[in-house]
Amino acid sequence: MSATTSYLLYSIFALGGAGVYALLPRRGTSKTLIGALLAIAALVAFLVVVAMRFVVPDSSTPYFLLFSTIALAAAVRVVTHTRPVYSSLYFVVVVVAVAALLVLLQAEFLAVALIIIYAGAILVTYLFVIMLAQQVGAPTYDRSAREPFLATFAGFVLMAAIAGRAGDWRGQTPTRTIPVAFAETGPNQSTSGSTSNTRSIGAMLMTKYVLVVELSGVLLLVSMIGAISLARRKIAVEGVPRVGMVLGQAGREAKPF
Amino acid sequence: MHDHAEYIIVGAILFALGLVGFLSRRNLIVIFLSTEIMFQGVVLNVVAFARLHQHLEGQAFGLFLLVIAAVEAGLALGMVVLLFRRRGTLDAQAWSLMRG
Repeated sequence: MSATTSYLLYSIFALGGAGVYALLPRRGTSKTLIGALLAIAALVAFLVVVAMRFVVPDSSTPYFLLFSTIALAAAVRVVTHTRPVYSSLYFVVVVVAVAALLVLLQAEFLAVALIIIYAGAILVTYLFVIMLAQQVGAPTYDRSAREPFLATFAGFVLMAAIAGRAGDWRGQTPTRTIPVAFAETGPNQSTSGSTSNTRSIGAMLMTKYVLVVELSGVLLLVSMIGAISLARRKIAVEGVPRVGMVLGQAGREAKPF
Repeated sequence: MHDHAEYIIVGAILFALGLVGFLSRRNLIVIFLSTEIMFQGVVLNVVAFARLHQHLEGQAFGLFLLVIAAVEAGLALGMVVLLFRRRGTLDAQAWSLMRG
Protein backbone atom coordinates (compact mmCIF):
# COMPACT_ATOMS: atom_id res chain seq x y z
CA MET A 1 0.00 0.00 0.00
CA SER A 2 1.50 3.29 -1.06
CA ALA A 3 1.85 6.26 1.25
CA THR A 4 -0.72 8.16 -0.79
CA THR A 5 -3.30 5.50 -0.13
CA SER A 6 -2.47 5.59 3.57
CA TYR A 7 -2.98 9.34 3.78
CA LEU A 8 -6.17 9.08 1.72
CA LEU A 9 -7.46 6.48 4.17
CA TYR A 10 -6.44 8.60 7.17
CA SER A 11 -8.31 11.62 5.87
CA ILE A 12 -11.35 9.52 5.02
CA PHE A 13 -11.36 8.07 8.52
CA ALA A 14 -11.06 11.57 9.97
CA LEU A 15 -14.03 12.68 7.86
CA GLY A 16 -16.07 9.66 8.89
CA GLY A 17 -15.08 10.14 12.53
CA ALA A 18 -16.29 13.74 12.38
CA GLY A 19 -19.54 12.51 10.85
CA VAL A 20 -20.07 9.89 13.57
CA TYR A 21 -19.19 12.47 16.23
CA ALA A 22 -21.84 14.83 14.86
CA LEU A 23 -24.36 12.01 14.56
CA LEU A 24 -23.99 10.80 18.13
CA PRO A 25 -26.96 11.85 20.24
CA ARG A 26 -26.31 14.93 22.33
CA ARG A 27 -28.08 17.56 24.32
CA GLY A 28 -28.83 20.90 22.79
CA THR A 29 -28.75 21.64 19.09
CA SER A 30 -28.81 18.58 16.89
CA LYS A 31 -26.15 18.25 14.22
CA THR A 32 -27.77 15.29 12.52
CA LEU A 33 -27.83 16.78 9.03
CA ILE A 34 -24.15 17.82 9.05
CA GLY A 35 -23.19 14.47 10.54
CA ALA A 36 -25.17 12.54 7.94
CA LEU A 37 -23.62 14.55 5.12
CA LEU A 38 -20.10 14.05 6.49
CA ALA A 39 -20.64 10.33 7.05
CA ILE A 40 -22.11 9.83 3.57
CA ALA A 41 -19.21 11.77 2.02
CA ALA A 42 -16.71 9.63 3.95
CA LEU A 43 -18.50 6.44 2.90
CA VAL A 44 -18.52 7.41 -0.77
CA ALA A 45 -14.86 8.45 -0.66
CA PHE A 46 -13.96 5.22 1.12
CA LEU A 47 -15.75 3.13 -1.49
CA VAL A 48 -14.04 5.01 -4.32
CA VAL A 49 -10.60 4.54 -2.76
CA VAL A 50 -11.27 0.88 -2.06
CA ALA A 51 -12.56 0.29 -5.57
CA MET A 52 -9.58 2.08 -7.13
CA ARG A 53 -6.75 0.86 -4.93
CA PHE A 54 -7.71 -2.41 -3.27
CA VAL A 55 -10.26 -4.41 -5.17
CA VAL A 56 -9.11 -6.72 -7.91
CA PRO A 57 -12.13 -6.33 -10.17
CA ASP A 58 -14.11 -9.46 -10.80
CA SER A 59 -17.77 -10.40 -10.87
CA SER A 60 -18.15 -10.08 -7.09
CA THR A 61 -16.91 -6.47 -6.87
CA PRO A 62 -20.32 -4.72 -7.21
CA TYR A 63 -21.74 -7.01 -4.54
CA PHE A 64 -18.82 -6.28 -2.25
CA LEU A 65 -19.33 -2.53 -2.66
CA LEU A 66 -23.09 -2.81 -2.15
CA PHE A 67 -22.97 -5.00 0.95
CA SER A 68 -20.11 -3.14 2.60
CA THR A 69 -22.06 0.11 2.08
CA ILE A 70 -25.10 -1.44 3.74
CA ALA A 71 -23.07 -2.90 6.60
CA LEU A 72 -21.19 0.32 7.39
CA ALA A 73 -24.23 2.62 7.10
CA ALA A 74 -26.35 0.32 9.27
CA ALA A 75 -23.53 0.02 11.82
CA VAL A 76 -23.38 3.82 12.07
CA ARG A 77 -27.13 3.84 12.68
CA VAL A 78 -26.84 1.16 15.39
CA VAL A 79 -24.28 3.23 17.22
CA THR A 80 -26.04 6.57 16.80
CA HIS A 81 -29.75 5.83 16.98
CA THR A 82 -31.52 7.19 20.05
CA ARG A 83 -33.99 4.32 20.40
CA PRO A 84 -32.64 0.86 21.31
CA VAL A 85 -35.35 -0.96 19.35
CA TYR A 86 -34.28 0.69 16.12
CA SER A 87 -30.63 0.11 17.02
CA SER A 88 -31.25 -3.62 17.27
CA LEU A 89 -33.25 -3.68 14.04
CA TYR A 90 -30.41 -1.92 12.24
CA PHE A 91 -28.12 -4.51 13.79
CA VAL A 92 -30.09 -7.18 11.92
CA VAL A 93 -29.25 -5.28 8.72
CA VAL A 94 -25.56 -5.34 9.70
CA VAL A 95 -25.73 -9.09 10.30
CA VAL A 96 -27.37 -9.80 6.96
CA ALA A 97 -24.88 -7.61 5.08
CA VAL A 98 -21.90 -9.22 6.84
CA ALA A 99 -23.34 -12.64 6.02
CA ALA A 100 -23.49 -11.61 2.37
CA LEU A 101 -19.84 -10.53 2.55
CA LEU A 102 -19.02 -13.93 4.05
CA VAL A 103 -20.74 -15.59 1.09
CA LEU A 104 -18.51 -13.53 -1.21
CA LEU A 105 -15.55 -14.90 0.77
CA GLN A 106 -16.86 -18.42 0.11
CA ALA A 107 -17.77 -19.09 3.72
CA GLU A 108 -21.33 -20.18 3.02
CA PHE A 109 -21.85 -22.26 6.13
CA LEU A 110 -20.59 -19.53 8.43
CA ALA A 111 -22.83 -16.99 6.67
CA VAL A 112 -25.96 -19.05 7.27
CA ALA A 113 -24.89 -19.81 10.83
CA LEU A 114 -24.34 -16.09 11.41
CA ILE A 115 -27.86 -15.23 10.26
CA ILE A 116 -29.46 -18.04 12.26
CA ILE A 117 -27.55 -17.39 15.46
CA TYR A 118 -27.51 -13.60 15.40
CA ALA A 119 -30.73 -12.62 13.69
CA GLY A 120 -32.58 -15.64 15.01
CA ALA A 121 -31.35 -16.10 18.54
CA ILE A 122 -29.30 -13.23 19.90
CA LEU A 123 -31.47 -10.47 18.47
CA VAL A 124 -34.63 -12.04 19.86
CA THR A 125 -32.97 -12.03 23.29
CA TYR A 126 -32.10 -8.37 22.86
CA LEU A 127 -35.64 -7.51 21.84
CA PHE A 128 -37.01 -9.36 24.86
CA VAL A 129 -34.72 -7.44 27.17
CA ILE A 130 -35.67 -4.16 25.50
CA MET A 131 -39.33 -4.99 26.08
CA LEU A 132 -38.69 -6.05 29.68
CA ALA A 133 -36.64 -3.01 30.52
CA GLN A 134 -38.72 -0.47 28.69
CA GLN A 135 -38.54 3.12 29.78
CA VAL A 136 -41.33 5.60 29.28
CA GLY A 137 -40.59 7.95 26.42
CA ALA A 138 -37.05 8.57 25.27
CA PRO A 139 -34.89 8.77 28.40
CA THR A 140 -32.08 11.26 28.81
CA TYR A 141 -29.33 8.70 28.69
CA ASP A 142 -30.41 7.62 25.21
CA ARG A 143 -30.35 11.16 23.92
CA SER A 144 -26.94 12.22 25.22
CA ALA A 145 -23.72 10.39 24.53
CA ARG A 146 -20.95 10.16 27.09
CA GLU A 147 -17.72 11.80 25.92
CA PRO A 148 -18.54 11.55 22.20
CA PHE A 149 -15.39 13.34 21.09
CA LEU A 150 -13.00 11.13 23.04
CA ALA A 151 -14.84 8.00 21.91
CA THR A 152 -14.71 8.89 18.22
CA PHE A 153 -11.11 9.97 18.60
CA ALA A 154 -10.24 6.57 20.09
CA GLY A 155 -12.01 4.90 17.19
CA PHE A 156 -10.14 7.07 14.70
CA VAL A 157 -6.76 6.28 16.29
CA LEU A 158 -7.57 2.57 16.21
CA MET A 159 -8.52 2.75 12.53
CA ALA A 160 -5.43 4.79 11.65
CA ALA A 161 -3.22 2.26 13.40
CA ILE A 162 -4.84 -0.64 11.58
CA ALA A 163 -4.67 1.09 8.18
CA GLY A 164 -1.08 2.07 8.79
CA ARG A 165 -0.09 -1.49 9.63
CA ALA A 166 -2.13 -2.97 6.81
CA GLY A 167 0.65 -2.18 4.36
CA ASP A 168 3.10 -4.50 6.06
CA TRP A 169 1.56 -7.77 5.05
CA ARG A 170 0.11 -6.65 1.74
CA GLY A 171 1.69 -8.30 -1.23
CA GLN A 172 3.29 -11.04 0.80
CA THR A 173 2.49 -14.50 -0.36
CA PRO A 174 1.15 -16.66 2.46
CA THR A 175 3.80 -19.16 3.44
CA ARG A 176 1.45 -21.79 4.82
CA THR A 177 0.82 -24.91 2.89
CA ILE A 178 -2.71 -25.96 2.08
CA PRO A 179 -3.97 -28.27 4.84
CA VAL A 180 -5.63 -31.58 4.16
CA ALA A 181 -9.18 -30.50 4.88
CA PHE A 182 -8.98 -27.82 2.26
CA ALA A 183 -6.96 -29.76 -0.24
CA GLU A 184 -9.69 -32.38 -0.43
CA THR A 185 -12.12 -29.90 -1.91
CA GLY A 186 -9.57 -27.94 -3.84
CA PRO A 187 -8.77 -24.26 -3.54
CA ASN A 188 -11.71 -23.14 -5.64
CA GLN A 189 -14.78 -23.94 -3.61
CA SER A 190 -17.18 -21.84 -5.58
CA THR A 191 -17.41 -24.44 -8.30
CA SER A 192 -18.21 -27.26 -5.91
CA GLY A 193 -20.98 -25.39 -4.08
CA SER A 194 -21.89 -24.89 -0.44
CA THR A 195 -22.13 -28.57 0.45
CA SER A 196 -18.43 -29.09 0.23
CA ASN A 197 -17.76 -26.01 2.34
CA THR A 198 -20.05 -27.35 5.03
CA ARG A 199 -18.62 -30.84 4.68
CA SER A 200 -15.04 -29.65 4.96
CA ILE A 201 -15.79 -27.54 8.04
CA GLY A 202 -17.70 -30.41 9.61
CA ALA A 203 -14.85 -32.82 8.98
CA MET A 204 -12.39 -30.35 10.46
CA LEU A 205 -14.54 -29.68 13.53
CA MET A 206 -15.10 -33.35 14.22
CA THR A 207 -11.47 -34.38 13.83
CA LYS A 208 -8.96 -31.66 14.54
CA TYR A 209 -11.09 -29.45 16.76
CA VAL A 210 -13.31 -32.00 18.47
CA LEU A 211 -12.04 -31.03 21.90
CA VAL A 212 -12.84 -27.38 21.23
CA VAL A 213 -16.35 -28.33 20.12
CA GLU A 214 -16.87 -30.19 23.40
CA LEU A 215 -15.49 -27.26 25.35
CA SER A 216 -17.87 -24.87 23.55
CA GLY A 217 -20.73 -27.09 24.62
CA VAL A 218 -19.55 -26.90 28.23
CA LEU A 219 -19.16 -23.14 27.91
CA LEU A 220 -22.71 -22.74 26.60
CA LEU A 221 -24.01 -24.90 29.45
CA VAL A 222 -22.15 -22.82 32.04
CA SER A 223 -23.49 -19.64 30.48
CA MET A 224 -27.04 -21.01 30.53
CA ILE A 225 -26.76 -21.96 34.20
CA GLY A 226 -25.29 -18.56 34.98
CA ALA A 227 -28.03 -16.68 33.13
CA ILE A 228 -30.75 -18.72 34.85
CA SER A 229 -29.27 -18.17 38.29
CA LEU A 230 -28.93 -14.45 37.56
CA ALA A 231 -32.53 -14.19 36.41
CA ARG A 232 -33.94 -16.12 39.40
CA ARG A 233 -32.23 -13.99 41.98
CA LYS A 234 -34.61 -11.97 44.11
CA ILE A 235 -33.84 -8.26 44.04
CA ALA A 236 -35.02 -5.88 46.70
CA VAL A 237 -35.81 -2.66 44.84
CA GLU A 238 -33.87 0.03 46.57
CA GLY A 239 -36.26 2.31 48.36
CA VAL A 240 -33.85 3.76 50.87
CA PRO A 241 -32.09 6.73 49.32
CA ARG A 242 -28.44 5.94 48.94
CA VAL A 243 -25.69 7.62 47.04
CA GLY A 244 -26.27 5.43 44.00
CA MET A 245 -30.02 5.90 44.16
CA VAL A 246 -29.69 9.59 43.45
CA LEU A 247 -27.77 8.81 40.30
CA GLY A 248 -30.32 6.20 39.24
CA GLN A 249 -33.16 8.60 39.79
CA ALA A 250 -31.38 11.26 37.83
CA GLY A 251 -31.65 9.12 34.71
CA ARG A 252 -35.31 8.33 35.29
CA GLU A 253 -36.81 11.62 36.32
CA ALA A 254 -34.97 14.08 34.17
CA LYS A 255 -37.17 16.41 32.19
CA PRO A 256 -37.52 15.43 28.53
CA PHE A 257 -36.26 18.76 27.24
CA MET B 1 -2.45 -12.07 -6.09
CA HIS B 2 -5.68 -10.91 -4.53
CA ASP B 3 -5.14 -10.35 -0.83
CA HIS B 4 -8.69 -9.38 0.19
CA ALA B 5 -7.48 -6.27 2.01
CA GLU B 6 -10.80 -4.56 1.32
CA TYR B 7 -12.68 -7.07 3.48
CA ILE B 8 -10.16 -6.65 6.27
CA ILE B 9 -10.52 -2.87 6.21
CA VAL B 10 -14.32 -3.09 6.24
CA GLY B 11 -14.08 -5.45 9.21
CA ALA B 12 -11.74 -3.04 10.97
CA ILE B 13 -14.16 -0.17 10.39
CA LEU B 14 -17.00 -2.23 11.84
CA PHE B 15 -14.80 -2.94 14.87
CA ALA B 16 -13.97 0.77 15.28
CA LEU B 17 -17.64 1.77 15.00
CA GLY B 18 -18.49 -0.76 17.67
CA LEU B 19 -15.72 0.67 19.84
CA VAL B 20 -17.11 4.18 19.43
CA GLY B 21 -20.56 2.98 20.42
CA PHE B 22 -19.22 1.00 23.36
CA LEU B 23 -17.34 4.00 24.71
CA SER B 24 -19.90 6.70 24.09
CA ARG B 25 -23.39 5.30 24.53
CA ARG B 26 -25.00 5.26 27.97
CA ASN B 27 -27.77 2.71 27.48
CA LEU B 28 -26.60 -0.70 28.68
CA ILE B 29 -28.44 -2.52 25.88
CA VAL B 30 -26.88 -0.33 23.17
CA ILE B 31 -23.46 -0.84 24.77
CA PHE B 32 -23.80 -4.58 24.34
CA LEU B 33 -25.17 -4.17 20.82
CA SER B 34 -21.95 -2.28 20.05
CA THR B 35 -19.91 -5.23 21.26
CA GLU B 36 -21.91 -7.41 18.87
CA ILE B 37 -20.93 -5.05 16.04
CA MET B 38 -17.31 -5.53 17.08
CA PHE B 39 -17.88 -9.30 16.89
CA GLN B 40 -19.16 -8.89 13.32
CA GLY B 41 -16.00 -7.06 12.35
CA VAL B 42 -13.83 -9.75 13.91
CA VAL B 43 -15.72 -12.56 12.16
CA LEU B 44 -15.33 -10.77 8.82
CA ASN B 45 -11.60 -10.37 9.46
CA VAL B 46 -11.08 -13.99 10.46
CA VAL B 47 -12.88 -15.27 7.38
CA ALA B 48 -11.03 -12.87 5.10
CA PHE B 49 -7.72 -14.17 6.46
CA ALA B 50 -8.94 -17.72 5.97
CA ARG B 51 -9.62 -16.90 2.34
CA LEU B 52 -6.26 -15.19 2.02
CA HIS B 53 -4.40 -18.22 3.32
CA GLN B 54 -6.63 -20.60 1.37
CA HIS B 55 -7.59 -22.79 4.27
CA LEU B 56 -10.63 -23.35 6.43
CA GLU B 57 -9.28 -22.93 9.94
CA GLY B 58 -10.38 -19.31 9.99
CA GLN B 59 -13.93 -20.35 9.27
CA ALA B 60 -13.85 -22.90 12.09
CA PHE B 61 -12.51 -20.15 14.33
CA GLY B 62 -15.41 -17.96 13.21
CA LEU B 63 -17.83 -20.61 14.42
CA PHE B 64 -16.21 -20.61 17.85
CA LEU B 65 -16.45 -16.82 17.83
CA LEU B 66 -20.19 -17.21 17.32
CA VAL B 67 -20.29 -19.49 20.38
CA ILE B 68 -18.48 -16.87 22.44
CA ALA B 69 -20.86 -14.18 21.15
CA ALA B 70 -23.89 -16.24 22.16
CA VAL B 71 -22.45 -16.88 25.62
CA GLU B 72 -21.63 -13.21 26.05
CA ALA B 73 -25.07 -12.08 24.93
CA GLY B 74 -26.83 -14.48 27.28
CA LEU B 75 -24.83 -13.54 30.36
CA ALA B 76 -24.71 -9.81 29.56
CA LEU B 77 -28.43 -9.55 28.99
CA GLY B 78 -29.10 -11.50 32.20
CA MET B 79 -26.99 -8.97 34.05
CA VAL B 80 -28.71 -6.06 32.28
CA VAL B 81 -32.09 -7.34 33.47
CA LEU B 82 -30.67 -7.74 36.99
CA LEU B 83 -29.26 -4.21 37.01
CA PHE B 84 -32.48 -2.78 35.61
CA ARG B 85 -34.53 -4.41 38.34
CA ARG B 86 -32.12 -3.06 40.92
CA ARG B 87 -32.10 0.59 39.89
CA GLY B 88 -34.99 0.98 37.47
CA THR B 89 -32.84 2.54 34.79
CA LEU B 90 -30.63 1.33 31.97
CA ASP B 91 -28.23 4.25 32.38
CA ALA B 92 -24.70 2.93 32.73
CA GLN B 93 -23.76 6.01 34.72
CA ALA B 94 -26.17 4.99 37.48
CA TRP B 95 -23.50 2.40 38.30
CA SER B 96 -20.51 4.64 37.96
CA LEU B 97 -19.79 4.45 41.69
CA MET B 98 -19.61 0.63 41.49
CA ARG B 99 -21.26 0.07 44.85
CA GLY B 100 -24.36 -1.93 45.42
